[in-house]
This record gives sequence, C-alpha cells and structure tokens, in this order.
Amino acid sequence: MRSRIVGTLLVALVALPLLVQPAPAQNALVVSVWGGNWKNTVESVIGKAFTAKTGIPVEYEVGGTIDRLAKARVAKGNPLVDLNFTTTHVARLYISDGLYAKLDMAKLPSTREIAKEAFRSDFHVGSWAYVYTVVYRPDLVKEDITKWSDLWKPSLKGKIALPDFDPSHIITIAALMEGGNEINWQKGEARLKQLKDSVAAFYSTDAQSQDLMKTGQGPVQVMLSVNAYHLQEQGIAVKLVQPSDYPGVVGIDTMAVMAGTQKADAAHQFINLALSREIQTELVKALRAGPVNTGATVPASLKGQPGIFLSAAEWKERGYIMNDEARAKNLPGWREWFTANIVKK
Amino acid sequence: MKLLLAPAVVVLAIFGLALAALFQWSLREFIPGSLQTGGLTLANFRGVLAPQYLGAIRDTVVLSALTTVLTLVCAYPVAYALARTPSRRVRSTLLVLTIAPFFTGAIVRTYAWVLVLGNTVVTWPVPMLFTERGVLVGLVHFSMPTMILILAAALSHVDPAYERAAASLGASPARVFRRVTLPLSMPGIVSGGLIVFAWTLSAFPTPELLGGGRVKMIANVVRDLGLDSFNWPGAAAFAMLALVLTLALLTVVGRLSAGRTS
Repeated sequence: MRSRIVGTLLVALVALPLLVQPAPAQNALVVSVWGGNWKNTVESVIGKAFTAKTGIPVEYEVGGTIDRLAKARVAKGNPLVDLNFTTTHVARLYISDGLYAKLDMAKLPSTREIAKEAFRSDFHVGSWAYVYTVVYRPDLVKEDITKWSDLWKPSLKGKIALPDFDPSHIITIAALMEGGNEINWQKGEARLKQLKDSVAAFYSTDAQSQDLMKTGQGPVQVMLSVNAYHLQEQGIAVKLVQPSDYPGVVGIDTMAVMAGTQKADAAHQFINLALSREIQTELVKALRAGPVNTGATVPASLKGQPGIFLSAAEWKERGYIMNDEARAKNLPGWREWFTANIVKK
Repeated sequence: MKLLLAPAVVVLAIFGLALAALFQWSLREFIPGSLQTGGLTLANFRGVLAPQYLGAIRDTVVLSALTTVLTLVCAYPVAYALARTPSRRVRSTLLVLTIAPFFTGAIVRTYAWVLVLGNTVVTWPVPMLFTERGVLVGLVHFSMPTMILILAAALSHVDPAYERAAASLGASPARVFRRVTLPLSMPGIVSGGLIVFAWTLSAFPTPELLGGGRVKMIANVVRDLGLDSFNWPGAAAFAMLALVLTLALLTVVGRLSAGRTS
C-alpha cells in the first residue's frame, strides 16, 4: 500500500509538467514571439489572416528575446517552434548556432516589394522597423530637444534614462559624433563619459523605460519609437525627436524559419503573408512601426515620423543601420565598458 | 521508509545535475557574437574577478548585512507587541497587517516603492530612488513580515513570568529587556537573521527596480551577463563564484550565531 502511494506520487511528480504545458495541436504552425502587444498584434494581424487563407491554425510560444533563444538552443535539431521573431542582431546568434533554415526566396514572392534594408541574411528577413531616438516629456523639460548633441546640455543633468541592457545605440551615436562608427566605437568613449553625470537611471526592459517616462523619473530617454507612440496613445505627452544632427538608430525585427521544422512550407507562407502590402499596412497601424514593404499604406499622422521609412531615400537619410554582426560581437564588450565607465558611480 | 525518501532523492539529483551543468558552462570559452563555446578555460573566472563584478559582490554582502540588522530592529517591536498584547483585536490587526504584504507579491510592492521613493509623492531631502538607500528600504520592507513572524514565534515561547520576576526584583524595563527578553529571544533572532541574510543575498526584483541600473546585486549581474551580454559561460562562472561565497558566508554567520545562542 505504502509503495503504491509513493509510486503514485512519483508518477504525479513526473507528469505534472506535461499537464501544465498543453501540447500544440498537431497540424498547427508554432510561432515564437515576444509577449504583450507584440504577440497580440502578430496574432490578430498576421495569424488570423494566415489561418483564414490556409486553414492552418497558429499557436504561439511567448517569451523574452533570450529566453526563447535559450529554449531554441536546447531543442536544437528538433525545434519546439516553426517560425521565430527576434531582433536582427540576436538572429545572428541563432544563425551562428545553426538554428535557422535558409530561406527559400522562391516561396517568398512578397520580398520583391520589400526594402533592401529588410534583407538581413539568407536566413532572416525584416518584419518591421523602428528607431531608437531621443524622446522627452515637454511638460517636464522646458527647452526644446532637437538633436542628439542636446543630450550633453548641462540643463538635462539628472533627467536622462538610457538602456543598459543594450547600450549600442548611444555608443554608436557618440562614435558617429566623433567621426567613428560601431566598428571603431572607441572614438566616442571620451564623449560618452561626459554624459555620465546627466543620467538619472538605466533601464533593463521596455516596461521599465515606459514607467520611468510615466513617473517622470527619466523624462528624457534614448527610447524605442514604438514604445513612445504607445505612451502617446495612453495619453502621456511625449515628444519624439527627429534628430537634426545624426539619424535615429534603426532596429529591425525579423522572421526566420527554424532549422529542422516539419512545417517549413507553412512557415514560408506565414512570412510571405506578413510581408504583403495588406498585412504590412495593418502592422503599421497596430504597432506604429515602419513597414518593410515599400508599397504599404501608412496613415497620414505617421508619415515622416521617426522609425517610419517609406522610401529608399528615407531609409538612408533618417535611419542609421548598424552592422548586425559587429553589433552581436561587440555587445558583450560594450556592456562591460558601459557598466564600468558610465553606470558605475 | 527508503521509498519515502525517493522524491527527495530525485529532487536532489535534478538539482545536482543542474549544478553540474552550470559548472561545466563556467569552464567553457566564451566566443562573442556566437552561441558556440570554445574549449575548457579558466578565463571566465578571471573575467568575473574584474572590479565591477567584485563591487557587486561587496555591495550585495553589505546590503544583505544592513538589511538583516535594520529588519531586526524594525521588526522586533512589532513582534513583541504581537506576542505580548493581551488584546485579541490588536493581535489580529497586527497579524493581518504583517501578513498582508505576502498577498501583493514582490513586484507590486516594489513598484509601489518606485512611486514613494521617487519625488512624485514625497520630496526627499536626499535622493532615494535609484540609490543604495532606496534599495535598502525596499529590501527591509520585503523582509519585515517574515522576520516579524519568526520573532513573534520565538517571543511567544518566552515565559512572561521571567520578565515579571526581574521587574519585581527592581530591574527597570530597559534592563529587563536587555538581560531577560533579548537573550531568551536569541534563537528567533538568529534564525530570522539567517533567513533574511540568505534571501537578501539572492535578491533580484528589488535592486532591479529600485536600483535603476546603478545598484547591482549578484543576481542582477548574473542576469546581465547571461541575458544581455549573451555571455552564458561568464554568467555561469559568476553564479558559481557567488554560490561558493554565499555558502562560505552562511557557514561563518551560522557558526558565529550558534556560538552566540549557546
């Protein structure tokens, strides 16, 4: 009797995780994406249209950028998901580990209409774009901010918040100001150090960034344009700067097909649909991100705004795109330098 | 009997395997821009001995020690009132107030402190938010309920007759407390102190939210290395180093307190 109870307990212990996590439907396409608004948008704009068109249901694995990368690495060769959304430089890590399958461009006719900047590699393609730029609250900052170099004004001391999880944007801008770029970023070191006393806080997540802006603890930020538009929708009067001295630093989120997936065809169909004019038009409206399809229709209120690029000229003039590989390789070193020299008191 | 131990053995084996996996990661060479690791190396341990990482360990130990002492000082009077009050209503009220924070969760409580410690609700004479001071306040508040409950349990086992006897022999209330109540409640102080010290060493959300990126404790650095720098071998090495230091510290503190209570 006693051994039966113990046996039952052991079986229950082993079976519990299986009960907690429902298995995806057998024929469903499993898409890995960030949570919150990102997942909701992908589901409502792309997923539903995809299912309506193909009859294939879509399920979602939701998580942070690195959580999902870690899972993908553990499941290598037998992926738990079929299609992955991530940022373009993190995609380089997937590629370096052989986690992505090469894209079959013949199955992606929509790519004929996308900006060349959205072709990130043979393995991943851009889904939408945005910029990291200066964003501020005019009710708490009495002077106009119009360019990157304004961040160095003494009047902004103690008002700036920067991302510390990825300082690549401000490091690249400081380097550009000193005639360098993300490759020879050391040129901007001295200038960056001058910014140290102006920083009130550093943020590790998008949520923290928005909280700092809402509470006024970080009323001037190097911020993701998509988050700034989101704050505006919530009634927080933030102003996005279209810097007049140097462009905003472009971020591109990308899609890729996982290596070893049994549903590569469906994954290609999903990507192709996501890149179509119609879906790109809806994505712009929902995310306030820039389309990668140059034929997408953009609401008048967003035309010319930071992170919204509608032509080859706009991509070139208003956005600075870092080299993905250099960024992925340099990020650990940048963070170490940034923590030691800027974050540390 | 042996079969009843089986679940515990299974759990121990799983934790042992996880620790072994972490250890092997800590010995792998980190290749920037790649998830692939190189051969065996001790470079990760050399890397995490950089001043910024050692500073995080120092800050963690200092903050944990201060949190333990301040929590004890703040919690003791509440625990004493809880254990000694003759009024059932006062006891119930104190108990509810003590337990209430458990129902709100660490993140919600910490976000509330972001508002209080910032200058939006109160104007502080010295900066509180995004400083060690602010993190300390958050950690003490987080630890208070547990410390109160442990101390109250210890104090409730101290027979009030000893205190009355000391008072009847002419001891002042302060002397009664110093010579009778405090020594007799020492087991509660030690166990409460050890628990608060140990979990503050691994604190994550409080320094993450109230430290504003400027105050980093051990868990925050491990997260930064692993999730932001993609340096998993470095994160594993730092975690191993922190684990060894934590065990060493807890052993020392445990032995000191055992001597004190005996």
